[in-house]
Amino acid sequence: MKKGLIATVILILSALVLPAFAGTDSSGRSPSQPEEKLLGDESDGSRAVPIHLIPMYPENEDGEKGFKIAGDDDILLPFSTRWTCGACHSYATVSKGWHFNAVDANAAPGRPGQPWILVDASTGTQIPLSYRPWPQAFKPEQVGLTPRQFTKLFGRHTPGGGAGELESKNPDEFMREFISGKLEINCLACHNPNPEQDQAGYAIQIARENFRWAAAASCEFASMSGSAIDMPETYDPFMPMPLNDPKKTPPGVSYRKDAFDEDNWVFFDITRKVPNERCYFCHSNMDAGSDSPERWAADEDVHLTAGLKCVDCHRNGVEHNIIRGYEGEEFISANLLAATSSCEGCHTMGRLGAPLLKHAHAGIPPVHFDKLSCTACHSGPWPGEKTIQTKTSRAHSLGIAGINKSPEVLPHILSVVFAKQSNGKIAPHKMFWPAFWGTIKEEKVTPIDLEVVRKTVRNILAKQRLPRSGDWRVFTTEHIAEGLNLLQKKIEGKAVYVSAGKLYQIDNEGELTAAEHDAAKPYMWPIAHDVRPAAQSLGVRRCEDCHATDAPFFFGAVAVDSPIVSERDSSKEMVGFQESDRFYAWAFAFSFVFRPWLKVIALGCCGIIGGVILLYALRALACIVKLLAGRS
Amino acid sequence: MFRTLSIIIFLATFLGIGICCLIFPCSKECRWGPLAILRRAMRIFTMLFLEQKLSLVGALRKLVYLLALLCFLVLAITSFYPVLVLKEPIHGYWLMLHATFAPVFAICLAVLAVMWAGNCRFNRNDWPWLTRIIERVTLAKRVGDEPSDTAPGLGRKITFWLIVVLALPLILSIISSMFLLFGTYWQELLLDIHRYTALAFAIVAIVYTYLMIRAKMRE
Repeated sequence: MKKGLIATVILILSALVLPAFAGTDSSGRSPSQPEEKLLGDESDGSRAVPIHLIPMYPENEDGEKGFKIAGDDDILLPFSTRWTCGACHSYATVSKGWHFNAVDANAAPGRPGQPWILVDASTGTQIPLSYRPWPQAFKPEQVGLTPRQFTKLFGRHTPGGGAGELESKNPDEFMREFISGKLEINCLACHNPNPEQDQAGYAIQIARENFRWAAAASCEFASMSGSAIDMPETYDPFMPMPLNDPKKTPPGVSYRKDAFDEDNWVFFDITRKVPNERCYFCHSNMDAGSDSPERWAADEDVHLTAGLKCVDCHRNGVEHNIIRGYEGEEFISANLLAATSSCEGCHTMGRLGAPLLKHAHAGIPPVHFDKLSCTACHSGPWPGEKTIQTKTSRAHSLGIAGINKSPEVLPHILSVVFAKQSNGKIAPHKMFWPAFWGTIKEEKVTPIDLEVVRKTVRNILAKQRLPRSGDWRVFTTEHIAEGLNLLQKKIEGKAVYVSAGKLYQIDNEGELTAAEHDAAKPYMWPIAHDVRPAAQSLGVRRCEDCHATDAPFFFGAVAVDSPIVSERDSSKEMVGFQESDRFYAWAFAFSFVFRPWLKVIALGCCGIIGGVILLYALRALACIVKLLAGRS
Repeated sequence: MFRTLSIIIFLATFLGIGICCLIFPCSKECRWGPLAILRRAMRIFTMLFLEQKLSLVGALRKLVYLLALLCFLVLAITSFYPVLVLKEPIHGYWLMLHATFAPVFAICLAVLAVMWAGNCRFNRNDWPWLTRIIERVTLAKRVGDEPSDTAPGLGRKITFWLIVVLALPLILSIISSMFLLFGTYWQELLLDIHRYTALAFAIVAIVYTYLMIRAKMRE
């Protein structure tokens, strides 16, 4: 009986205690329980920005929170945004935001955007890369880039996080990773309005592999010296020892003496409303054509001219799920304002003082709004006879000292191209023609590791100098054939070269053949800015802005870019990118010649018909009048 | 909604015409054998040809009418087929064909309105019951000659004037949208006006053509 009682008690206790541990995560928290909100994750409603006079914390050698940084520390470590900002703002929540979640396989990719473009002129390579599963973009690992190498190449124009925080699986990088640290989310890249916030300096630190120091080095109260890239693999940044080589300076940060108060707290100049200049560092673009106006001569986006800031439309909460602002985003994004922050969203509700659409677009048949995006008429440069070369911050490292400012520098991005999007509407795009060496299997093309390509193909053009303009070297089809033959000996599968919309391969007879292939299609992404005012939109002058037999909208020439000399001066017609019948577009445009006659004839006929009706109506009235007057 | 409404109305119209043919045949000896139907169809077809007894004006009138009929057929097919059958708005080559025949149709309508308005005037024989009421109320005396027996019947007159009256909003609704007068809201309204007016116009035109064929066959 005693044993039975004991067993019963144990069972009852188990029944009470076990459910508390069932279905909990490693922190002992049930998955159904929301992550605990920190002080700064939830607003109390005040629109004022709290004063950020806070202690700074570094990351220690174990990757955990270190001791508070004091101005008189013997070894000054860079502050870590994870442990400093993360004390009040959930770092884990922020890291799921759009700017940081590219490496998250669960993050919805949304509308395809500008990829990172890996360029190597010596091998005739310009290839789109992205961690997001966007069509036609390749994963960095497919060209042999580890997350660390990717961060070093492209982290310059990011706010940190993402690939910069992934741990390397390459044993050769373990030691370098310990020296460099991780490239954490740099909150100050956006939220520091101080004019001394140096994003160009941030890019330099990344080039030097000073990932751990980059955020601190770019802010106004710290400065940086040395390079992690110069350090031997045995170097310990937490216990730095003097080096034998006086030319190599270990990475080190120093803070302004007056940055610390008596409690070693530091004032961070923080703003909620990110200044436009912060966005511009990564999101600028310029037309590189010879006739293109200089920056000062070009007008800004009409929204900015009207007084709006970028973040007035591109909003987010603590989760940093920033609105991108395209049509249909509300079906993918969890952001509450996604539906009302698109063009149509603001301009149908009059948000932020936006002119209403209801009485706008006089004379434009509604079918245009089914077939065209708003940006087709209102965004980007006015289309010319031929596409122009464009540069963007992320592709061309704009804003960093010492870059090649030549208009021909790679990658060659073209705009504006009017093409059909996945939602069926025609929109303006930027595009570039991928060029890379790959293998083909069952019609699927995969790029070859760039290091393998460099070692194999580089020698083919070794005698040729790289042009100072940064343009392509001069490739010929013979070079391509030679390269394919060399690569074929080193790889598995069939070697191919993609360029100018074509796939080059060696056939069974040993001849080089070229044919159009899906893998060679240009990579395109929609243009949203700069938005032109209504008075400068397409169609404002007349229908023939687009509906003319020589209108650039349909018949403009889209340049075909290629390292291969024989392909360089070719072009394709714009209508080919719109999945439209060329003859129909031409015939419809031609019919507009007769449109004024149609109006005159129709109005004339209405006049005649109206006259007939009026005449007989008056006669009927006369009849009635006579009857009522008592006449026969 | 427009598609559903159009299908219902077209079906009702053709059904009505079919019932009318059965209940009120063109001749007392109306037969429904295949040969009889073929003969009737041939006769309708020959009505398209110019009659030898027509004057120059008469021939011109008939030619304009035939051209208008052709244009109406093309316009009706290009407008209603994509909407009713393909379930999509008019676009592409349908739209181009529609816009090409539309001004020709407008001209034909204007010419026919001028040429036929006189013959299609309403007179006292069209409304005998109304005439009697008016004579009793006003004590007005009947004056003038009896109208010609060749004048169209009341049904054709009513449908003729309906066609003429409907032609105005039909043309004006689409032409006015081509000017820089109306924004998106009014553009959509004008398009709806054009659609529904076109539906009414098509029904009236079908009824008019039916009545015309009936009258010619009786002659």
